[in-house]
Amino acid sequence: MDASKQAHSSQEDFEIPAELTPALQARRRSQKRIIFDRFMRNKVATAGALFLLFLILCCLFGPLIPGHTTPDAVGVTAPFAGSSLADPFGTDNLGRDTLARAMVGGRISLLVALSSMLISIVLGIIIGAFAGYYGGWLDNILMRLTDTILTIPLYLLLFVLSATFANGTPISVIFLIAIFGWTKAARLVRGEFLALKEREFVQAAATIGARDLRMMFYHILPNAAGPIIVNATLLIGSNIILESVLSFFGFGVSIPVASWGSMINQGRDYFDAAPRLLLIPGILIFLTVLSCNLVGDGLRDALDPQMTER
Amino acid sequence: MKRREEGPDREGSGLLCMGRLVLMRQYLLRRLLQAIPLLILTSILMFLLIHAIPGGPDAIYDNPNLDAAGRAALRASFGLNDPLPIQYFKWASNMLHGNFGNSLYTGQPVSSVLAQRFPATVELFLSAFILSLLLTAILGTLSAAYQGKAVDYTITTLAYFGISMPIFLLGLVMQNVFASSLNWLPPSGTATLGYTFSPFNALLDHLMHLLMPMVVLAVTFTAGWSRYLRTSMIDVIRQDYMRTGRAKGVPPARLLLRHALRNAVIPLITIVAIDFGAIAGGAAITESVFAWPGMGQLFIDSLNRRDYPVLLTALLLSAIFVIIFNLLADVLYSVMDPRIRYS
Repeated sequence: MDASKQAHSSQEDFEIPAELTPALQARRRSQKRIIFDRFMRNKVATAGALFLLFLILCCLFGPLIPGHTTPDAVGVTAPFAGSSLADPFGTDNLGRDTLARAMVGGRISLLVALSSMLISIVLGIIIGAFAGYYGGWLDNILMRLTDTILTIPLYLLLFVLSATFANGTPISVIFLIAIFGWTKAARLVRGEFLALKEREFVQAAATIGARDLRMMFYHILPNAAGPIIVNATLLIGSNIILESVLSFFGFGVSIPVASWGSMINQGRDYFDAAPRLLLIPGILIFLTVLSCNLVGDGLRDALDPQMTER
Repeated sequence: MKRREEGPDREGSGLLCMGRLVLMRQYLLRRLLQAIPLLILTSILMFLLIHAIPGGPDAIYDNPNLDAAGRAALRASFGLNDPLPIQYFKWASNMLHGNFGNSLYTGQPVSSVLAQRFPATVELFLSAFILSLLLTAILGTLSAAYQGKAVDYTITTLAYFGISMPIFLLGLVMQNVFASSLNWLPPSGTATLGYTFSPFNALLDHLMHLLMPMVVLAVTFTAGWSRYLRTSMIDVIRQDYMRTGRAKGVPPARLLLRHALRNAVIPLITIVAIDFGAIAGGAAITESVFAWPGMGQLFIDSLNRRDYPVLLTALLLSAIFVIIFNLLADVLYSVMDPRIRYS
């Protein structure tokens, strides 16, 4: 996000022409404001963003609500207790509080998705930037590496890797997912760099003697911020799916720590007795991923410089 | 591969067509040669990773009644006593001689274990793939043709649903709804056990079993691809030759399907090729949910049993398949767009 700020502030430094009337000046909006307004005009994307905000707040502070603080305690009430006012989601097969588990599981799922997104975006930016900026053999090697990773069936590779390296802690799962999440970001950043490095402002920076690293990360990168932010948002969604797949097959965060994937795995055997044990974490995953996709597409439209400003 | 600007040989006289064929053959040959070091690298990486899994086969098949000598004999019989590089070279040279080794779990030759499982995976993969392409063509064309109308919004909503739905979740929900609750479709497996059907009914029974896993696997990819097709179709529809076609009185359906779709599909081919690995992974998950006796399920089982030879062969086979499919996509790309040059 810092990168985008820089890009916009540098454009705002232009002096306002003298003939701009006060009435027009009052209507003048910063670029951030324009993007924000454009995003808010997209009702579906706004709803997705609000849902994500609500979900994050629930998962952060929900487990502090009295009565829902013990997600792993067995036999709080009778197993398969239906929903009641005190326990809206009921209890699971071991009498554990499903609401508390859903909130704590959401913490794990969101934590894994967000952190692995951050790591893979940083990796993708570095790899894509070097490949796109320097080109030549470096580009060749880095892009062949990217292609190779894209051709191996990701799930199978993740299963092997998690059996090998992951010990069931969230950190290990984060790194596992991050190691393979950077490929799309890297391709994207490389493409942006290839196009941007031919532009005049890069030549201008080169004339005043900007070094390579400064050129890459101070001058070029902020201009590629839009697509990267969009990609990051979409990546959160796909990471949530990956985490749930890993946990579902028992290769992710180890039980009894709740995560939405492992809750589904435990709930699938009791679908006839209590379908909500599968449906609650399932719907949460679905809505979260859906929101990420909607917000990502909304951001893409809002950040698109081709869109005419109204 | 590069897109070539309109050149004099674009229309291609006979001679130049020959030139294209030779070029294509050279290109394919080079790509195949490039695939060899890639496969060797992949196999080394996989070999090391698989052998690094904590708790090797000797620990998994350990038996409390086995004494130290017996355990050592077990290790020796698995060939685990050599240093890793030696083990790799032994395995690789056997592999090159067509000997895939024996499963550590059942003792059967890996080739026969895989031969049992391979057709089921190919069946699921190909049927889902074809279904996906068909649905993509229909949905993408419809939503581009009715851009901004109710049809478009409906398809877009469905696409968002499909993209946001994890495969295993969709599988579990469909399994519980259509099989357990409604009893319309069989829940899992490839055939109803304990009955002998006439050949026709057996086929019907098998197709009923195939239906759910096929649809589940196809949904995610259809959703993503139809969005791409919609975008590129809208680009094509705005082009001049479409207006010319309309002016000449080509029927709208024919214009869309014959003239627009062919060009709109070209950018999609790259996306589809990138997704081959993901479909193979998705097939593994679908197989596991629906107990479909294919390679994916075998893979997950073998991983839990630390069955090294089966795991390695399955991984390598999937890598080979993805590479072959990518090559096919490249060739198709040039057939669809004669402006593509091999370089």
